[in-house]
Amino acid sequence: MTNYYFSTKKMCVGYDGKPLIKDMEIYLPRGEILTLIGPNGAGKSTVLKSIAGQLRLLCGKVYLEESNLAEMRAGELAKKMAVVFTEKLRAEMKSCRDVVATGRYPYTGWFGGLSKEDESIVDEVMELTHITEIGGQEFERVSDGQRQRVMLARAICQEPEIVVLDEPTSYLDIRYKLEFLSILQEMREKKGLTVIMSLHELELAKMISDKILCLRGEYVEGFGTPEEIYKADFMERLFGINESSFPGNTKFLAYIRQMMEWS
Amino acid sequence: MIEMQENRKSRYMTVFLLLGIGTSVFFVLNICIGSVQIRLLDMIRIFSRDGLGETPERILMDIRLPRAAAVLILGGALSLAGYLLQTFFNNPIAGPFVLGISSGAKMVVALIMVFFLGREIRVTSGAMIFGAFIGAMLSMGFVLLLSGRISSMSMLVVSGVMIGYICSAITELVVTFADDADIVNLHNWSRGSFSGMTWDNVKVMAVVVFMTFFAVFLMSKPLAAYRLGEAYARNVGVDIRFLRVCIVIFSSILSASVVAFAGPISFVGIAAPHLVKRLLHTAEPIWMIPSCFLGGSVFCLFCDLLARTMLSPTELSISTVTAIFGAPVVLWVVAKR
Repeated sequence: MTNYYFSTKKMCVGYDGKPLIKDMEIYLPRGEILTLIGPNGAGKSTVLKSIAGQLRLLCGKVYLEESNLAEMRAGELAKKMAVVFTEKLRAEMKSCRDVVATGRYPYTGWFGGLSKEDESIVDEVMELTHITEIGGQEFERVSDGQRQRVMLARAICQEPEIVVLDEPTSYLDIRYKLEFLSILQEMREKKGLTVIMSLHELELAKMISDKILCLRGEYVEGFGTPEEIYKADFMERLFGINESSFPGNTKFLAYIRQMMEWS
Repeated sequence: MIEMQENRKSRYMTVFLLLGIGTSVFFVLNICIGSVQIRLLDMIRIFSRDGLGETPERILMDIRLPRAAAVLILGGALSLAGYLLQTFFNNPIAGPFVLGISSGAKMVVALIMVFFLGREIRVTSGAMIFGAFIGAMLSMGFVLLLSGRISSMSMLVVSGVMIGYICSAITELVVTFADDADIVNLHNWSRGSFSGMTWDNVKVMAVVVFMTFFAVFLMSKPLAAYRLGEAYARNVGVDIRFLRVCIVIFSSILSASVVAFAGPISFVGIAAPHLVKRLLHTAEPIWMIPSCFLGGSVFCLFCDLLARTMLSPTELSISTVTAIFGAPVVLWVVAKR
């Protein structure tokens, strides 16, 4: 257990006391990227919310190193874990830079004033995420894609050890998708950031992840390295599609085959 | 970037200064203007104890000054209560009046007054505030129950208005059955009025309101996080449940203080915070909380001046005037969305 930065023990997640997925056991060493994949409604967001302590666990525990997440003090956890969720962040009359700066919350004083050091961290992170130019624009007026980058910057600003992201690239075009993921990779290499996220793009997930968790509603379909997961029948088991799903459509067939043939 | 920050700071300071000047100017105007005009020079003479004859001095010291002080304090309280409720419900048109909180407080206060005055027992200011607080919490409880079932903002406000109507109807009923002597008094108060404030009242409300203001100001950092949305606030370490309880209690205390002394006053709680937010060009609690308070004070001082002088010697109910200036602001907020 000591080798893992993040782990869950018999974790059950769900809403209103009804378990959706039971007995999840996830292990992740520090500095690895775990991606959750699975069809719509498979519980990716539910798992991420539970991991981040936003949704009460129905049973089981989540650990960061040795400490049980449920027993950690909120302020302490805030310095270790940052989130980017699909919920809209409300930022009335806030510029993008203001939104990024809200990530400094766990480090500021009683009234939340930013120190010189906080300010320079904010600027640094904005540089890293390529949003310096839109820093002065109102957050509510920028495009969805820009907003997602601002949200990432905000999370990084929190200087977390682990970041939990729910479909963080959904509104980005391919260039920014790659850029976004490369920032995560960079953070992992430089600072040992651990990443848990959900992605819809199977090929991107395959490329960037150290571990993949396949969810299929009530159970975990698979958990392992991309090599282990992207095997011959995973498309069929996970999404219910196989080589005969789109008869006559050779291009689709090629895509499905490509997904299933690792290395 | 640093330039931008500096610009902002100077903007906030300018707004503070403006609101401060506005409050002072209207405070003085409120003292000077009335059926008996008191010149500024005379006022200074009264304070330097030169004597000016009994009548103007009594008018100044016993009527106008406590009234103006009450308007300043309660106006600020109303505006701050509105801002807290808008933050709580994430709804720009939430306020103590539209959510029925003022009416709930009014109902309990009316019940207490009729019950005790009928038995010739004097009701202290503290007891009135407490009664109003219970009423405010009662209404708030209903609104909270409903807000769990209703996700639409406008429907929540409609429910609040309905709760307000129910409470007002009960109040009317109680007032109708009260003794003749109480009716006039109750009736004036139940429509909202700053008249008849005593120094004792002012002392009590000052203590209650300023203490609450201070407590709210201390919460400005978690409030700022709460305004981002619950998930993000929780992630940065805010104890959401505790914060929500605090907001409910503090906004109820503020609304209750206003109702206990001046009756229900409409629209200030929505209009003042909104106007101040436009002026500041930020919604950050640390700036909004003090500016909101001052903004509410200016707004109410201005409205009370008109209420007293427009149709002098008849006095308009304060809500009539606040509605004239406040309701268009509310419409503007709604139309802009």
